[in-house]
Amino acid sequence: MSDANIKQESDLTRRNFLRGLMGAAGAATAIATYETFVNDPQLVLAQDGTPAADVPAMIASADGDHFDNVERMRTELVRALQKPAAERRWVMVIDLRKCVGCHACTISCVAENKLPPGVVYRPVLDEEWGTYPNVGRRFIPRPCMQCDNPPCTPVCPVNATFKNGEGIVEVDYDQCIGCRACLAACPYGARTADFGLTYTGTTPIAAGLLVGQDKAESYERVANYEYGEARPREGHESPIGNARKCHFCLHRVHVGELPACVTTCIGRATLYGDANDADSLVAEMIASPNVIRLKEELGTEPRVYYLA
Amino acid sequence: MFTQKNIKRLLYILGIIAVVLGIFGFYNRLFFGERDVNYGSYVTWGLWVAMYLFFAGVASGCYMVATLDYLFDVPLFKGTGKLALWAALVTLPAALISIGMDLGHMERIWKVYLQPNFNSLLAQMVWGYTIFGVVILVSLWVAVRAKDNRPLGLKVFVGVGFVLSIFISGGVGALLGVNASRAVWHVGLLPAQFPIFSLASGVALVLAIVSFFTNSANRARQQRVLGIALVILLLIKTYILWSDFSMSLYSGVPQNVDAITQVLYGEYWWAFWLVQILLGTIIPIVVLVIPRWAQNRYLAGVMGILILVGFASARANIVFPALTVPELGGMAEAFSGPHLGFEYFPSLMEWSVTMGIVGLATLAFLLGIDRLPFFKDSAEVAR
Repeated sequence: MSDANIKQESDLTRRNFLRGLMGAAGAATAIATYETFVNDPQLVLAQDGTPAADVPAMIASADGDHFDNVERMRTELVRALQKPAAERRWVMVIDLRKCVGCHACTISCVAENKLPPGVVYRPVLDEEWGTYPNVGRRFIPRPCMQCDNPPCTPVCPVNATFKNGEGIVEVDYDQCIGCRACLAACPYGARTADFGLTYTGTTPIAAGLLVGQDKAESYERVANYEYGEARPREGHESPIGNARKCHFCLHRVHVGELPACVTTCIGRATLYGDANDADSLVAEMIASPNVIRLKEELGTEPRVYYLA
Repeated sequence: MFTQKNIKRLLYILGIIAVVLGIFGFYNRLFFGERDVNYGSYVTWGLWVAMYLFFAGVASGCYMVATLDYLFDVPLFKGTGKLALWAALVTLPAALISIGMDLGHMERIWKVYLQPNFNSLLAQMVWGYTIFGVVILVSLWVAVRAKDNRPLGLKVFVGVGFVLSIFISGGVGALLGVNASRAVWHVGLLPAQFPIFSLASGVALVLAIVSFFTNSANRARQQRVLGIALVILLLIKTYILWSDFSMSLYSGVPQNVDAITQVLYGEYWWAFWLVQILLGTIIPIVVLVIPRWAQNRYLAGVMGILILVGFASARANIVFPALTVPELGGMAEAFSGPHLGFEYFPSLMEWSVTMGIVGLATLAFLLGIDRLPFFKDSAEVAR
C-alpha cells in the first residue's frame, strides 16, 4: 500500500470519526433539547387553544441531509402550533399498504401513556380473509377516530368527555364517574376502562426486597402525562375507574412532538398533521382517491383516514 | 307445611343467607374496586346493569299496579296499593345499588345531580329515578294518612307517578336503544317494550305478595285476576320477543344475527330456553291458565317468583349478547388482556353482590310488613 493510499485511508477514518462525533453531538443536542421540552413546564402549552409561543425549532437530522416524512411532519406540526387551536384540524392517516403488523405503535402507545393491563388505545386489528387459495391478511391499526360527530360524548351523564378546541375528543378524568356509557356508544370499540390492575399485581409482596411487589410495581406507579397533567397511579385515583382513550398524544403534540405511534411506525405507515394546512403531508394524502374511513355510513365523520 | 307463617320464615332465612353471601361481594367491591368483575371494556355492562334494569322495572311495575287501588279505584284491589308501593320502595333502592356498584367512581355520583348533561339518557334516568323514589315515598305517605279514603290530591299525585313510571321504565330501554352502534338494541321497539315488561314484572311480584302475605276476603279473586293478567302479559312479551328475533334473523344483518344466535344457541342458551322461556314463561302460563292450580295460593305465588326470575334472565339476555359482538372484525384477537374479552359470565363477586342486594330487598320488604305500623294494624296483611 502506498503512502498516499495510507494517507487517504487515514483521512477517511478521521473524516468518519469526525462525522460520527458530530452525529453523536447532534443526537446529544437532540436528546438534551427534548429533555428540556419535557422537563420545562413553561413549554407545555395550555389546551385551551392558545397559540404556541415556545414551540422549539425542529431538531435537525443528525447527518443534516436526510429528511424523511417524520421530519416533514414535525416541521408541519410546529407550523400548525403557531395557529390558533380552532384553525387546526388534526388528522391521522394510516397507509394500510405500508403497515406490516409489527404492533410497534401499540407498544409505544402503551409505554408513552403508561397503560395498565386491559387498557389499550391503539390495537392493530389482524384479519385473515378469503378462502383458500384466495386468501389475504390485513392489518388495521385502530386509534380513536376523533369523530367530528362523536356518539360517545352526548351519552356522558356529566359532560366528562367532549371535543376540545382542536377537535380532539378528551376525557376529563376528574369528572368521569366510570359508567362506561361512552364505551358502549363508540362504534369503533375505541375506548377502554381502567379497572385498576397492574402488571405486577400478582408478584409476591416480599417487603423490603428488590424482588418484592412494592419495588416491582413502582415503575407502574409513576405518573403519565396525558392531557398535560401528571397522574401517578395511586389508590383509586383517576384514571383508575375511568374511561380511557387515545387522544392523539396531545401532551406530546403541544410541545412540538408527534404522537408516539407516528414516530415509532417502522414503515412510516402512520402520518399525522393539520389537514387545514394545504401544504401538509396529511392534506396531500387525504386528497388521494384511495382514502377510506371506517363505518362512514354512521355519519360519525372520523378524523382517521386509511389509505387502501 | 305450606303455611303463610312458614313461607315468611323461609323467606327470612333465605334473605339472611343471601345477605351473608353478599358480604364478600360488597367487601371486595368497596375495598378493591372492580378488579374482580368479569365485564370489561368490550362487554361494558354486566350482571349489575341487567339487575338495575330488572329492579327498576319491578319498581315501576309495582307502582303501576298500585294505581289500580289509588288512581283507578278498582274495588277488587282495595288494600293492595300499600303493599305494591312498599314493594316499589324496596326494589327501587335495589336497582340504584346495583347500578351504583357498576360505577368506576361511585363517589362522584353527586356530579350527575349538580353537573348533569341532560342530553344523556343516563343523566335523565338518574334524575328520573330519584324523582320517582320521592314520588313513591310521598304516595305511600299520603295513602297511609288517607287510610280508606281516596282524596283528589292522592289521585293527582298517583296519576303523575303513573305517567312517570311509564316514562322511566321506557327510558331504561332507550338507554340501550340510543346506541346506534349496537344494531340489535337500536330499534324503536326496544324502549316501547320495556313498560310492558315492567308492568308484567310488577304484576308478578304483587301476585306473589298477595298469595303469600295477604288474607283479605278478596284474596282469591285478586290472585285469579292477577294470574290472568300475567298470562296475557306473558303472551304479549313472547310475541314481542318473536317479532324482535325473527325480524333480526330474517334481515340477516350480521351484528343482529350474531347477537340473536348468541342468545338462542350460544354458550348460555340455557339462560334463554330453560330460565326465560321454560321456567319464566311456559310453566307459569300453564299453571295460571288452569283454574285449579291458579287458585292454589302457594302455587300461584311461586309462579309469580318464577316469572320474576324469567324477567331477570330476559334483562340479561338483552344486555349481554349485544355486547359480545365485536364492533370491528379482528378486535377480539388484536390485543389481549384482562377485561378485554367478548365472552361474559358474571364473576363470583358479581353474583355475590347481586345475592346481597336481593337479600337486602327481601329482608327490607319482610321487615316492613312485619314492623311498619300501617301494615301491622292492617287487616289484609297476614300475621
